[in-house]
Amino acid sequence: MNPLEILIASIFTHNIALVYILGMCPFIVISKNFKTAVGMGVSVIFVVTLTAIINWPIYWKLLVPLHAEIVSYLIFIIVIAATVQLLEMLIEKFFPPLQASFGIFLPLITVNCIVLAVCLFMVLRKYDFIQTLFYSFGTSAGWALAIIIMAAIKEKLILVGDIPKGLRGPGITMIIAGLMAFAFMGFAGIITLQ
Amino acid sequence: MPKKIIKRSFKHTKPYKALTTGMWQDHPTFCMVLGICSMLAITNRLDNAIAMGVGVTFCTAFSSLFVSIFRNTIPSRVRMLAYMVIIATFVICVDRFLKAYFPPISEAMGPYVGLIITNCILMGRAEAYAVKNGPWLSFLDGVGCGVGYSFMLVLMAVVREIIGFGTLLGFRVMPETWTNWVVMTIAPGAFFLLGVYLWIFRTIAKKTE
Amino acid sequence: MNSRGSKTLHIFIFVIVMGTVSGIFLVGVNLWTAPLIAKNEEIKIKSAVLDVLEIPYTKPDLLNVFQEKVREIKKERVILYKGPDEAVAFEFYGPGLWGPVFGFVSINSDLKTIRTIKILHQEETPGLGARIAEAAYLNQFRNKEFLPKLLFVPQGKSSAKNEVDAITGATGSSRALERLLNETLQKNISMLQK
Repeated sequence: MNPLEILIASIFTHNIALVYILGMCPFIVISKNFKTAVGMGVSVIFVVTLTAIINWPIYWKLLVPLHAEIVSYLIFIIVIAATVQLLEMLIEKFFPPLQASFGIFLPLITVNCIVLAVCLFMVLRKYDFIQTLFYSFGTSAGWALAIIIMAAIKEKLILVGDIPKGLRGPGITMIIAGLMAFAFMGFAGIITLQ
Repeated sequence: MPKKIIKRSFKHTKPYKALTTGMWQDHPTFCMVLGICSMLAITNRLDNAIAMGVGVTFCTAFSSLFVSIFRNTIPSRVRMLAYMVIIATFVICVDRFLKAYFPPISEAMGPYVGLIITNCILMGRAEAYAVKNGPWLSFLDGVGCGVGYSFMLVLMAVVREIIGFGTLLGFRVMPETWTNWVVMTIAPGAFFLLGVYLWIFRTIAKKTE
Repeated sequence: MNSRGSKTLHIFIFVIVMGTVSGIFLVGVNLWTAPLIAKNEEIKIKSAVLDVLEIPYTKPDLLNVFQEKVREIKKERVILYKGPDEAVAFEFYGPGLWGPVFGFVSINSDLKTIRTIKILHQEETPGLGARIAEAAYLNQFRNKEFLPKLLFVPQGKSSAKNEVDAITGATGSSRALERLLNETLQKNISMLQK
């Protein structure tokens, strides 16, 4: 399958937030402010792509020859946690200006399901290395796109302000997400993932 | 989310409290809006929802138990990693068990079983409760949260399966003339339904932001 | 400095011990479940083959019936299953509208017409595209000619020997299935005639 097709499909037709419904916790909690959403989105793109390209050789070149697929989940999350920790330390040490806008999101990413989900899907769909690279970048970019749109809508929503009390916060976020999911369904059929 | 402090009344014993806070007062989905991902994705059929609920309950209960047992030996720097490893171990067990004994359910849930690992509820309970309390209480707390979460899964799945497929656990419950609402079985319907549930619950419990 | 060193050592030992313990535990789980999982997989494939070849069987003697009546022929990475009446079955795997479609198709001994189709895995929209997997839909393929090409026509309009109904409201899924079936059938039939 053409890597470019995978890229487009994972951003639009198979958007991980709106079709597979993953990465919801930060999607709801961190989407209150446009700027934070952008910061979170960029950090996720970085971490997801990095961990996927680390995990791919570990799974196919190490675990499969050893018949140790059973520990794959364990290895994946350890790699994710270690990568995040490492990035955090590197940023703290060498790029302190980035710390404020980028570093504070890193610890939150460890528990973001899309990082693990990308690793699981890449194994399930048997992508090769180049495909994995495009898939992981596309998926995280799709997630970033979704959270940024959500934050933009929610910022405007505050100006309206007559949402029923019980619906405020997560309730209305869900309804907006539903409408966005509808909109993204319009992309269906452009490209299909195998 | 604002942190909630629960005042423990002496009316009830502590284990009872530990078991029930997760079911109502501190309900993982309604109050803390956690664990939404797997909740929305797999609740279009009741059998999947029940399997997911049992799996999550098992994992929360045992991971809380083990985190609590080792809470004094885990170095705080690698705390998160340690929780992750403990949680992942139990999730792999559940995954294997489903694959071995219930292959159709395992097939239907696909990668979402593995994603229990990153279900925020497990991590949340480990960090918020199990590190501060004894093994027995933590275990009960885990069971309580798991049951509360499963209850919500079932609530979602019942509505979505009846309206979306006209069936319940595969048996036809709606009349033949019923037109299936396809939207309920896919992502947008899941979002809308959870939005409505959150609205109802938060209005009843007077929890607003 | 010394206390910091011992702390690092403590962390190091802890991580190793934890990894070993959970690793051993998982190996145990693997030993216990691996044969069961392999057997489930075998049953899934073999029962599907017997189904499409229309060989009657009961659950307990599935494997015996399979061994007695079905001949496996391996050709260029494709496994062809031949039944006692010279009907041939093989698997098809490829992209649907939303995700992979996987199933088995059998052709009659004349090598011109389809006998039955069974779809084991699909991720199409429930109630619309997912109907491609329903027996009621797949029954219309019986005795249809797949040479030179299967044609999917709008619902209720199929008349010729190589025409079948598509599903209204699920054009994408129908088209994907059409392409997938044609590709697999053409490829395997040319291999059979060689």
